[in-house]
Parts: sequence; C-alpha cells; structure tokens
Amino acid sequence: MMIGGGGRSSSSSTTAGGTWVSTTSVSASGKRIQREMSELNADPPSNCSAGPKGDNLYHWVATIIGPPGTPYQGGIFFLDITFPSDYPFKPPKVVFKTRIYHCNVDAAGNLSLDILKDSWSPALTITKVLTAIRSIFTNPDPYNPLISSISRLYLADKAKHNEIAAEWTLRFAK
Amino acid sequence: MVREKPKQTTPQDSKQSNPIENSQNVDNLFSPRFKSAAAMAGWDEEALIIASIVVEDTPDRQSKHKKRSDLIFKTPPSTTSRRKRRAQRRSPLSTPIAPLNLDEEETSKQESKKESMEQRIDMKEEKKTEVNEPSEQVPGASCSSPVLRCMDKLREELSCAICLDICFEPSTTPCGHSFCKKCLRSAADKCGKRCPKCRQLISNGRSCTVNTVLWNTIQLLFPKEVEARKAAAALNNRQVECQSPRRSRSIRPPIVYTRDASVRRRGVVVMSQDEDAALALRPQREDFSRSDTTTSMSRRRRGTPSQDEDAALAFRLQREEFMESFRGTHQQTRTSLSSARANLRAMASRAVNIRMRGRPI
Repeated sequence: MMIGGGGRSSSSSTTAGGTWVSTTSVSASGKRIQREMSELNADPPSNCSAGPKGDNLYHWVATIIGPPGTPYQGGIFFLDITFPSDYPFKPPKVVFKTRIYHCNVDAAGNLSLDILKDSWSPALTITKVLTAIRSIFTNPDPYNPLISSISRLYLADKAKHNEIAAEWTLRFAK
Repeated sequence: MVREKPKQTTPQDSKQSNPIENSQNVDNLFSPRFKSAAAMAGWDEEALIIASIVVEDTPDRQSKHKKRSDLIFKTPPSTTSRRKRRAQRRSPLSTPIAPLNLDEEETSKQESKKESMEQRIDMKEEKKTEVNEPSEQVPGASCSSPVLRCMDKLREELSCAICLDICFEPSTTPCGHSFCKKCLRSAADKCGKRCPKCRQLISNGRSCTVNTVLWNTIQLLFPKEVEARKAAAALNNRQVECQSPRRSRSIRPPIVYTRDASVRRRGVVVMSQDEDAALALRPQREDFSRSDTTTSMSRRRRGTPSQDEDAALAFRLQREEFMESFRGTHQQTRTSLSSARANLRAMASRAVNIRMRGRPI
C-alpha cells in the first residue's frame, strides 16, 4: 500500500535531505572552527587575538602585536582570516591588513608561509598559524621572499632594514 | 550503600599514600579519603577510572595489581547483588590493607572503602564486557576540580587533532598518531597520504582500521560524547535515506489531516514550509490508481469537518513546528525537528492522498 505516496514523498525528501546533508557537512568545519574559537578564548597565545568578524564564522579578524626586541615592537598588525568550507583539510587564507615592511609579506598583505600553502596539515589550528606568523616577525625568512629588495637589504644591512621596518611600524601600525 | 559527602581530595592522592604501611598513619590518611573515594564512586565512576589509571603508575603497583586481579577472578559475573559480592570478597580483600582497617571501629569507613573497591572492580568488569552505562557516569561535571582537570587532560589526549572532538572510532597511523577514522580518511583523501601530525607517510589511508582498545577506552570514559556523535551519525544516515523513518514516524490518525488539507484549500496557512505547501499542491495523479484498504475510509468520508476544528488543528501544527525550530541546534533537537518535519510532510501527503482518492469515488 501507499507505494505511489512513498515515491512522491521520497522526491520531496531528497530535496529536503539534500539541504540537510549540506548543512551538516558545512557544520563539520563550522564545528571545528567553533572549537578553535573557544580554545583560543580559553588559552590565547601571547600577543595575539582572533575571532569572527561578524556573524560569519568563516571570516575572522586577528591581531598580532609586534614582539619586543624586533623593529615591529609595539605595532598592532591586523590580519584577515578566511576559512574554506572544507576547512581543516584546506588551509585558511591569511592576509595582512596592516602594512608591514617584511620580506615575506607583499604589498597586498599576502604571506609566504609554507604551512599556509603546501605544508598545511589538518592538525594545525589558527593558534598555531598565528604563532608561526609571530615567529616570522622575529625571524624573517629572506630565502623565500615575496619582496626580494627587502630580503636583500635584510641580508646585506640588517640595521638599515630594521630602521625602515621600525619606521613603517610607527607609520602604519600604531 | 554508604554514601557520604564527598571531600575535595583526589582519589589518586589516597592511592598514592598507600605505600606508607604504618597502620595508624594509614588510618588517618586513608579513611576520610577512602570515604570520599567511595562517595565519588557512588556518584561518579569516572573518578575511579582515573584513580585506577594513576594507580597503575605508582610504585606499589605490583601488590595492588595482584590484589585487584585476584578480586576480579573471584568475582562471579554480575547477577549476584553487590552486598553478596562484598561478603564473598571479604577474605581475599584482607591481604595488605584489611588488617589496617580491622584496627578501627568505624565500620562505615570500612564499608565505604570496600565499596570503592567494588566500584573499581565493577569498572574493570565493565571494561571486560564492554558494557556502556552512560547514566552512571554522567555526573562528571559535579565532581571535584582535580578530577575535572584530569578529565580535561584525558579529553585533550583523546581528542582527534582534525576535528578537535573526542576521537570517534579512532584509527592509529603507523607513526602512532590517532585520529577519527573518518577524519583520517578525509585527510588522506584531501591532503595527501601523510600523517597530519608528523607528516610521515601513511602507507594507505584507505585501509585504516579502528584501534579497538583506544575506542573502548574512549567509550568508557566519554559515553556522553560518543552517544552524541553516534546520534549525529545516525541522523546523517537517516537523512541520506530519510524515506522509511518518515513513514514509520507518522503516528497521528490520517483522518485528521483530510481536514487539514481542506483547510489549506480554504486559504488558511497551515505550514510555513514552502516545501510542504508545494507537496500539498502537487498534483497527485498516481494516487488514483492506489487501493488503500487500511485507512478507515468511511469514517474519513463521512466526517464532516467543522471549520473551528480545522483552524485549531492548523494552529497546533504551526505552533509545534515553530517551537521545534526554536529549540537550539544540538543533535537531539535536530532529530526531533527533522522527525517532526517528516511527520508533517507525511501527514500532509497522506491527507492529500486521501482527499484525492476520496473525490472520484
């Protein structure tokens, strides 16, 4: 009995199921992002903060305070973080919103950081990414530069490089 | 059962103080702590698991272990009541600790101590038989803070680095890192065949098997989380083929919904879901050919619906769905929400079917 009815309601159910499945598959990444958020709130890395920009869980804004002992000291650097929908399996996109004189950050704010590209691992979290970014403040990588002139200056005349970097920090990040 | 107010001492403390075999001293150290341990045991078995886990690392492990295993072997499998078992166990128990206890008059302490031992043994039994009793382990949040901290550490340790949740059906890589089976599989699919933690090559992400010991441990330690995950998985499965539950779930008599359909025809909004509306308005040609004998045709056909009833019903349905959709988003409500939706849809379609079937006759 009710075979026809079953068939019909199955057509409606597949559409309903489709929307449901898609929401649950998205929520796998959403769940993870939410977890990271609470983890970040509970135990924030030093000199860093991050959180969703607005309602959208997949779009965050982060700040890193220039670590002391570097030309970036005291500067507040804003970053935009965008999570892909298959997040833990694809790296988040991180872009500097504050201008910075650094050989690994280009004028558009893109970073050359291996863990945000080929070396990404789903076991990495935003906390670790921020820590990595903070570490390139202290140790720029002049051998994988985005702006080669800065890396050359860094290698040739570090004092001069630091001077310019401090000037930029003062100008853009304070 | 003797259950006394739990004190804020850790069970592992009491365990670690064991090697001091000075009777008087041990008395003082023991009884209140064992009391608390028993109290915890009464309320919370997680605490005892932790205690026993920690005990494994303490120097006096040998004797303890022997004693415990002794007890396990002496224990008859379930059926007998706890009291009976206690009586039976009295003799083997009295190896190293019992003399200390016999010195003191307070039997209650002794009792509670035994109880704690029993609890531990029960845990062991549970581990053996893989019985999962979430209800007994639920009040993990109500126990003392050191235990909580311990649980947090365990939680962290048993979490999957990919989903950051408790490992569900953990699979262990050749390099020794464990992830949810599903997570590891997707990681291997999408990120290449390297361990997410140490980047060592995983021979084949396809052939990941569940680490049974770890999985059982997780199930014992975090029954609630595991249940939640299971429910979520079941929900997903159901949604993939949400055909059958929809049918089986409709519990309301179909007669009511004939009126429902007529209400809708009259222009009263019954359901906010446009899906439902579409479903209701869809032409039901195929229904004419169907012969339905089970529904009470005569009742349905002769039941002249009053408009008030219809309106009331419509209102109730609307409110039900509304309430459902406002009850948070965690899995259980999801289940109920989707089942409610399924119900409504099934009911609507049935109503329409019956109507269409009724008309040509």
